[in-house]
Amino acid sequence: MRSNDVLGFVFADTLDDKIPELAASRTTASVPIGGKYRLIDFVLSNMTNSGINNVGLVAKSNFLSLTDHVGSGSAYDLSKRRSNLTLLTPYGGKTFSNYVETIYNMHGYLDHCREEYVLISQGNIVTNFDYTDLFDFHSKKNADITLIYKTGRVPGGYDRPITVDVDRDGKVSQVFVKPSATDEEVNHVYGSMLVKKSLLMEEIRQALSLNRLDIKRVIQDTVGKYRVYAFENKGYTAAIGSINAYFDFNMDLMKKEVRDELFNPKRPIYTKVRDDAPSRYGLNSSVKNSIIAQGCVIDGSVENCVISKGVYVGEGAMLSNCIVMQDTKIGKDTNLNYVIIDKDVTIKDERSLMGFDSYPIYIAKKSVV
Amino acid sequence: MQMFPKQEVVAMLLAGGQGSRLGVLTKKLAKPAVPFGGKYRIIDFPLSNCVNSGIEAVGILTQYQPLILNEYIGNGQPWDLDGMHSGVNCLSPYQAIKGADWYSGTANAIYQNINYIDRYDPDYVVILSGDHIYKMDYNKMLEYHKEKNAACTIAVIDVPLEEASRFGILNTHEDGEIYEFDEKPEHPKSTNASMGIYIFSWKELRKYLTEDEAKEGSSHDFGKDVLPTMLEAGERMFAYPFEGYWKDVGTIDSLWEANMDLLDPNVTLDLKDIYSRNPMMPPHYVSADANIQNSLIADGCNVEGNLEFSILFSGVTVGKGATVNSSIIMPGAVIEEGASVQFAIVAENTVIGKNAKVGQRPEEVDDRDNWGIAVIGENTRIADGAMIKAKEMIDTDTEVAAK
Repeated sequence: MRSNDVLGFVFADTLDDKIPELAASRTTASVPIGGKYRLIDFVLSNMTNSGINNVGLVAKSNFLSLTDHVGSGSAYDLSKRRSNLTLLTPYGGKTFSNYVETIYNMHGYLDHCREEYVLISQGNIVTNFDYTDLFDFHSKKNADITLIYKTGRVPGGYDRPITVDVDRDGKVSQVFVKPSATDEEVNHVYGSMLVKKSLLMEEIRQALSLNRLDIKRVIQDTVGKYRVYAFENKGYTAAIGSINAYFDFNMDLMKKEVRDELFNPKRPIYTKVRDDAPSRYGLNSSVKNSIIAQGCVIDGSVENCVISKGVYVGEGAMLSNCIVMQDTKIGKDTNLNYVIIDKDVTIKDERSLMGFDSYPIYIAKKSVV
Repeated sequence: MQMFPKQEVVAMLLAGGQGSRLGVLTKKLAKPAVPFGGKYRIIDFPLSNCVNSGIEAVGILTQYQPLILNEYIGNGQPWDLDGMHSGVNCLSPYQAIKGADWYSGTANAIYQNINYIDRYDPDYVVILSGDHIYKMDYNKMLEYHKEKNAACTIAVIDVPLEEASRFGILNTHEDGEIYEFDEKPEHPKSTNASMGIYIFSWKELRKYLTEDEAKEGSSHDFGKDVLPTMLEAGERMFAYPFEGYWKDVGTIDSLWEANMDLLDPNVTLDLKDIYSRNPMMPPHYVSADANIQNSLIADGCNVEGNLEFSILFSGVTVGKGATVNSSIIMPGAVIEEGASVQFAIVAENTVIGKNAKVGQRPEEVDDRDNWGIAVIGENTRIADGAMIKAKEMIDTDTEVAAK
């Protein structure tokens, strides 16, 4: 199985109802993260780095920021004669209310693509993953369907999470749809799988004709009928399904081992670049344990923060444990702790805002405080 | 010959010179490709100026060590110079029926590419060089050129009188018309220094280039041959006064100074709208042990040490307890724990070993006249504890052991 025989099929709205603030005016996939990225950058970079050169990106609404960010796909090398990024949005009055109908409504696109396999993936996953390992596994096991899973606690935001029991060979013996997430360690399936396109469409058609619109049920039903395997992504993975998960992931970037793994120079994470100048540190600045993107001017104090491109931090400002998105201006002598500040926000001089570790405050895009 | 849609202006950027005064920094690349300002290369400035002035056809004349430059320019996409029938082209010397010639002078380089220019049927040609840092709207200069109905317009900048003898000085009448070129005069009559930026009406320039090519004994240089010939022939030549930041970065000192100017709030140069190729690297990380004052830092850096008045290009590492002061650290360089780098330029991918000392402050040197910026070439390793004195220049791809 060759990578160029696999079509990437990415859902951009994954769990957007669980991060209503961040996804108020954008898809989950276009939520800014890690100082200069959008969530989608990780999955798209993983796909191109694994040799996939055709990707369909499914978005049901709010996709202006997504189209603006991914554009033609050239940032990911997905805009060439033999590579494509296609945005798939509702058309002809059809809505994308559930996975089964959505995939069915895309049958025209799926039929048209010449790839034999489909790799379904979710726009809320941050990881640096080599999909060719998955392809090799799938071929070696002669699998019909391979689900990707992660062993551990189910991250926040997943209602009725899918978990699997896997034998030593990697074969799935049972798929559970848990009534709710618990503290126990499970093999959590977060919605990525590899399957032959023809098999996928056959199952989707059958599910529709039986009026089974729950994709989780459809996946459950494949066990026993097909050779269903599961492959663990053992690398660092963040699944953004809550504002806390979003906050925690950004803070994880302060750890060297996380940065080294996610930003492996052999498998770079691509993003739309802006021509920002290098960041400028003023004479009275103090920055400790922070991630700073380009185009910033830092005149104040910053500790345990992720500061995105083009942010201004005024003199005497004290920022700790904050995530600041692009082009926000933070005035002089401000004091901010545990605050997530969306883009283009203005925090006026001498303002004070305090959140808490378990409850960071969120300031919406373009607000003036 | 196939013609392209007409371009009113074609820019030709002279990028073939060695830039020998930059020593090891231009050993393996042409001067316009030398890194500048934390993420740029010198050529980003004239290229961005072209695009921001609406010039859509740019020929880059390459000759000396063109690999890095060619690769960097690529298809011109970062500068929006990747049009279907316009954009940027690297023009190297080539073989023809009559033989093969290197570019023997600046004028000859343009002469050999008359075909390139003719395809666009331009009215004007802008000649630029790749060794100056400045932001300029060439359109305003072109308007001036048209208004004066000139055959040639040369941009000039007002320099202090005591420095004027280092420059090519243009002496003009009150209306700006040039009556004399004074190359590095001992007793300058004016302070209008040529910036090496020329606009020619293409018909006239084409004629003079062709004549100059046939002239015996000519060095085929704009400054030495073509411009004086045009002046003698009575062509209308004007000086266009430019106001703003402009700096020649042809020497180690001036390259270092121009970089340091970016850290000076009183300097008017800002980097907005200067485009460049951007390496794919994450934002930089600053650890809890770091101390950073008045510095510029690009993506991909990892700073755990102390930084003062310095510029870090992408992917630089500064280890714990290391000190970098008044220095320029180019992409991928590593300053290991406890090392000290002062008043130095460290080129790409070089490693400064633990506790090594590179460069000295002016006050640390007995003879102030012997003080200067220390320069370490690319892919070099300075061993742990080694010492590199002020003004020393270390070659590329070497290892310097501790004494």
